[in-house]
Amino acid sequence: MSKAKIKEVNELGTLVKIGSGIALAILLIPVFIVVLTGLNSGDHLTFPPKGISLRWIFAFFKSEEFLSAFLFSFGLALITMTLSTIFGTLAAIFITRFSFPGSQLLRALFLSPLILPGIVLGLALYIFYVSTDIGLARSYPGMVIAHMLVTMPYVIGTVSASLFNFDLNLEQAARSLGASPLTAFRKVTLPNISNGVMAGSVFAFIVSFGQFDVSLFMATPNNTPLPIALYWSLRYTFEPTAAAAGIFAIALVVISMLITSKLVNLQKFSGVKFD
Amino acid sequence: MEDIKDKNNFLRIFYTYRPVLLVLPALILFIIFFIIPVLSMFVLAFDKPVTGVLDLQGEWTLKSFLRIYNRSLYFNAAVTSVSLAALASLITLIIGYPLAYLIAKTENVTRNTFLMILVLCAMQLDMVIRLFGLMVLMGDNGLINGALMYFNIIEKPIGLMYNKLGVLVGLVQFSLPFMVLSLIGIIRGISPAVVEASRSLGATPNQAFWKIIIPLSMPGILAGTLLVFAISISSYIVPALMGGWKVMVMPLHVYQQIAEMGKWQFGSAIAVVLFCTSLLSVIVYQRVAIRIGGGRA
Repeated sequence: MSKAKIKEVNELGTLVKIGSGIALAILLIPVFIVVLTGLNSGDHLTFPPKGISLRWIFAFFKSEEFLSAFLFSFGLALITMTLSTIFGTLAAIFITRFSFPGSQLLRALFLSPLILPGIVLGLALYIFYVSTDIGLARSYPGMVIAHMLVTMPYVIGTVSASLFNFDLNLEQAARSLGASPLTAFRKVTLPNISNGVMAGSVFAFIVSFGQFDVSLFMATPNNTPLPIALYWSLRYTFEPTAAAAGIFAIALVVISMLITSKLVNLQKFSGVKFD
Repeated sequence: MEDIKDKNNFLRIFYTYRPVLLVLPALILFIIFFIIPVLSMFVLAFDKPVTGVLDLQGEWTLKSFLRIYNRSLYFNAAVTSVSLAALASLITLIIGYPLAYLIAKTENVTRNTFLMILVLCAMQLDMVIRLFGLMVLMGDNGLINGALMYFNIIEKPIGLMYNKLGVLVGLVQFSLPFMVLSLIGIIRGISPAVVEASRSLGATPNQAFWKIIIPLSMPGILAGTLLVFAISISSYIVPALMGGWKVMVMPLHVYQQIAEMGKWQFGSAIAVVLFCTSLLSVIVYQRVAIRIGGGRA
């Protein structure tokens, strides 16, 4: 079986390899260029490159604009991650444990922010905040709520997937041995789904950290996430300081995905949703 | 006595329906901050358009939608949005298929995980940062033009960016990981035995690929293409940066009408059109996805 597969790859090898090379180049070259720009010694990246220096990294640490945006995004992502993980995990438990008329609809509702255009969701929330005048327009809590909506589908998707794989009999065995529902859940179920919960929260963090669309209508000079700060600067110039900020964001994404690969089996991961 | 009975009743109801408490926080959040806002945006789109006024007029009209249809500025933006997204889906499919095939057929766990991490990193990295790299590459003073001029191949920079070409390249870069991830599962599901059988009956590797593997990956191809269409048509950041506001698409108009002109009703109407276009392709996508799931089980 596997021999046949290897043979197949070899036979179609060259074309597949060339095609994959092109795809990987398109995916990764822009990322490498950001790293190069952040590390180059000239005022901007030119061909041929001038040399390597850390001046832009230092400039980033002194930059009011980008450092504060980076830290803002980091804090926002942490808060979003915490809230989304709690809300999302509880909801996922409910959805997978109890089937009732409309449970599929409920599931679809929780996953729907994935498919709603981000700019449309941002606009809808902005209209709601402004028209209800409850102090959420262009506010920090308003932005956290927007980020929760777009990150919770990831938590719910990952946690539901790991709950589906969990054998409910184990929890029932604990119950029959006298454990209270809460104890049984805490001591038996939770350790078994904790990888899924953690993977979901890593995704929530990174999706919030890189979120542009829903932040667009929410940002103010005081509340500026990194993607928005980069966007405003990119409209006028290619600042290497921005690329230096990008290097740290890239590092964060790489670390997050390495953690995810340890937590869940990436080979089973297909499609954008997790189930 | 009555009190205790009532209390017991209350407790019984509480215990029966207690699990609902699990979903309640998320449900309340979604009802208040998702369903109501999206519905009010729809309501606003059908309200009488008055510049600078957000309050409900209560005069229902299709004026905003007729304006999108009648004014070439907005109608062309819709056409540009749809055609760029369609083209991006097609190109992404051609470029993404080989990579998806490679990942699906890589048996070595370490190598497979490594490739998956590369794709996921590319997908999860903030799009603005990826566009920064793309703009340094494709700008008038960028690396491609710089290299071509350095080797005296061209004298003046060629316009690679701030036009439709730039937007298209950006959209392909943006959506490629989604396409690859949509394809991997279905390609992995194709039984090697089927391919072996066709080979033993005399099919060349080429024939086996086009006559067996491609038709069997059709559900994934369809799903990936529709997904890429939906996310490409919704993208604000790619046309804003790679098109430099010279390639006007629907998401740019939404932002402009609301944030710069205060035309709440008209902006909402464009958003509704955008939403429905993307929803339509997502509904078809889910039909296809369900069929894939059913086929596998």
